[in-house]
Amino acid sequence: MDAGRLCRIWGLVLGLFFAAPLGYLAYENVRLRSDVAGILAVARTWGPLRNSLLLAGAVSAAAMVAGTAMAWATVRLNLPGRRFWAALAPLPLVFPTFVGATAFIALLARGGLAEQILSPLGVGALPRLQGFWAAWLVLTLFTYPYVYLPVRARLRHLDPVYEEAARVLGRRRRSVFATVTLPATLPAISAGGLLVCLYVLSDFGAVELLRYETLTRSIYANRLFDRPTSVAHGLLLGVVALGVVGVERMLARRRSGGFSATSDRPPPLTDLGRWRWPVCAAVVAFLLLALAAPLATLGYWAGRGIANPHRRVGAFALDGAGIAASAASTVVVSSVAAVVAVLVMLPLAWLLVRRPSRSASASNLLVTAGFALPGIVVALALVFWTLQVPFAAAVYQTLPLLIVGYLLLFGAQAANAARAAVGAVPRRLSEGAQTLGARRWRRLRTVELPLMTPGLLAAGGLVLLSVMKELPLTLLMRPTNLPMLSTDIWNSTESLFLAQAGLESLVLVAASGLLTWLLVLRRSEFA
Amino acid sequence: MDTSSSTLLRRAGRGIWLVAAVTALSLVAAACGSDDDGAPVSSRAPASPVEPAPPPPPEPGDPLTIYSGRSEDLISPLVEMFEETTEIEADVRYGSSADLALLIEAEGDATPADVFISQSPGAMGYLATQGRLRVLPSGVLDAVDSAYAAGDGTWVGFSGRQRVLVYNPNLVDPADLPDSVLDLTDLAYDGRVAVAPANSSFQDFITAMRFESGDDATLSWLEGMAANNAPNYPKNSAIVDAVLRGEVDMGLVNHYYLLRFLAEDPDAPGVNHSFAFDDIGALLIVTTGAILDASDQPTAAQAFIEFMLTRQAQEFYASETREYPLAAGVQPPEGLAPLNVADVMDTIDFDVLGGGLARTQELIDQSGIVR
Repeated sequence: MDAGRLCRIWGLVLGLFFAAPLGYLAYENVRLRSDVAGILAVARTWGPLRNSLLLAGAVSAAAMVAGTAMAWATVRLNLPGRRFWAALAPLPLVFPTFVGATAFIALLARGGLAEQILSPLGVGALPRLQGFWAAWLVLTLFTYPYVYLPVRARLRHLDPVYEEAARVLGRRRRSVFATVTLPATLPAISAGGLLVCLYVLSDFGAVELLRYETLTRSIYANRLFDRPTSVAHGLLLGVVALGVVGVERMLARRRSGGFSATSDRPPPLTDLGRWRWPVCAAVVAFLLLALAAPLATLGYWAGRGIANPHRRVGAFALDGAGIAASAASTVVVSSVAAVVAVLVMLPLAWLLVRRPSRSASASNLLVTAGFALPGIVVALALVFWTLQVPFAAAVYQTLPLLIVGYLLLFGAQAANAARAAVGAVPRRLSEGAQTLGARRWRRLRTVELPLMTPGLLAAGGLVLLSVMKELPLTLLMRPTNLPMLSTDIWNSTESLFLAQAGLESLVLVAASGLLTWLLVLRRSEFA
Repeated sequence: MDTSSSTLLRRAGRGIWLVAAVTALSLVAAACGSDDDGAPVSSRAPASPVEPAPPPPPEPGDPLTIYSGRSEDLISPLVEMFEETTEIEADVRYGSSADLALLIEAEGDATPADVFISQSPGAMGYLATQGRLRVLPSGVLDAVDSAYAAGDGTWVGFSGRQRVLVYNPNLVDPADLPDSVLDLTDLAYDGRVAVAPANSSFQDFITAMRFESGDDATLSWLEGMAANNAPNYPKNSAIVDAVLRGEVDMGLVNHYYLLRFLAEDPDAPGVNHSFAFDDIGALLIVTTGAILDASDQPTAAQAFIEFMLTRQAQEFYASETREYPLAAGVQPPEGLAPLNVADVMDTIDFDVLGGGLARTQELIDQSGIVR
């Protein structure tokens, strides 16, 4: 059987697999005899739906601008310390939003740390941090890396020859950016923006704490005592997500015709001249807000607890060994999940770029839209389908099934980024190798994989960071005694052990920083 | 911590607590109320803590599996004591009570869980209505006052947290604080009292109020709070945090969150105010435990439930986590009056409370308070 047909079959299998959560929601709606039409017709549905769309749209727009700007600045401008800023930039993605939102409230709300520090300067009572703009700010700061990572990979390996040609032909810098660089980068920007949009639709932590009534908040608030509303809203969210993905795909097709040339030649740096330091200051200021601000709050909690260890209540004490054990298993599990996700999704990405077909597009639609469903829905769907299988108890709440769950949640990220990676391989190179007699596997190994590596690493990096902070699925599906940082942080936060929560969050950020640097950025820089 | 908790303790000393056995109960027992001998609510049998039983022979196979909606720091020390005492190995999965209840429902007969611990009666009641819980033996139920156990005998209370009004002494004169939660609709409290309408403890409190005063009176109290612009927060801890920062003057919460915040930051300005002894605002929210119907280790599961009601475990609640132990005869946290069930409670049958939490949520939505 040739590779193309294998890929096609695999694509269909994936489509079926990723339809599981939607299938579960449909089944629940039938089982609970929920009056879907009646529920959807009332204001309790339209308000949250409108809010979900508004927030997802606004955050995506802001994240696309911020992510692209940060990628551009760290790849193409001669900023002092740009490698360092480049390594820090993806990290805000690793804050679980319930921790991030708590930290921002403690920092920016009335009577918070910022007010205490700034009050001598005459800064008065800050407003309460809640509602649309608060959710917009916090979610933008924590999701822009979805855009930053793929755009950076694209910019880093874009063949400079096109831009040079445009310059030689007399185009100004700004015009080169608008007519050459931006169109070549647009697929990556749009793919990242789509992930941001879907993530915001699924997020519960930030909208709960910052009090913005979205569909996902309604799914959670009604999950136990108004199941029909909860599952109807879940189904609605799934349909909305399918629509969003469909629109993005349509736009992508319309603008197709971009070029896909990559190069190992380092991209030319633009000398900013006297703007060098002001632009650097802007990059640092943004990182201060997205990364240093929440870290400062977490550090403050941790420091306060370490300074006063005797003030503990109950049987609790700061537990260094426990944190280390959790960090170790978190690193291993998330790395495995990242590798599995990229390997599983690569054939579908290949299919979409090289052998586009209706069935491949349908699979992609299901894979991607699944990312908008809240973790609790996906977790319960996984439980439901697993237990339909005979002898499922053998794998239930074991590591392999947990990895499968992560794939179900984050396969969209891997597929999207991998598609960009495949798109970076010029078709003529594959064809050239074929003409020269190289067989399928040899072409993959010697020509295509090396060119795809940066994009695939970015794909793995996204999954890695997402798994490290994932909560609902991890709580319900992990092996009982497997320690994970995300669940530890949740436990500490629920118990208001802020010192412990702060320390665990700092370890989470440090571990993910180290991993993204070692596994993603460093290799992608020197690949 | 000293000033505020002693204030809490002093004020609380006056109180007698109503019970939040509330929700669960509801339809449940009414629906399947065949076992009249279960534990009549009016019984005042001299209850006492469970005597440590000789360890049952370990059952073959997996360790005992506990799903706990109560957080790890409160449960894991007790589980360790249990393992030491009985030599039964136990695994615990922590999560929110609602998520774990949904998980147990989805797992059905295949559930690995033997025991479920719920933060409040609501999630437990949900499983009871689904018929997922086993009826506990009367010896276990008799360890606590009948008000703290399900009428149909499917669950039993371990410990309780009191509903209080937390306030910031820099912003509030204690003399202005009311004796009854019902007075908070007064114009004097306009915009000053935070509530958490999406939180299960608040909803349990509203359910109890419906029971005591009826749906109409409850709705008009909620409408009064909405008209009074009660600031809205997602949960208890967010309210206490906001009070300590000075963002809002006071708020309706469970007593123990403040103690936790003060443990982290002893200088934070916060004091718990208890309502009068017979006020619905001074409700006790009960942590409950049950054995799952599908448990394959019911003997070990029962040993765990019994252990949680022994003097050793109950005293841990009082001394370490500063909650109210429910097994009669065990002293409450130092300085607090013994827990009494008011005579009026004898006449209350929580089990016939209709509509349960779904109806409570309807009333909250109807009142104009955004849930």
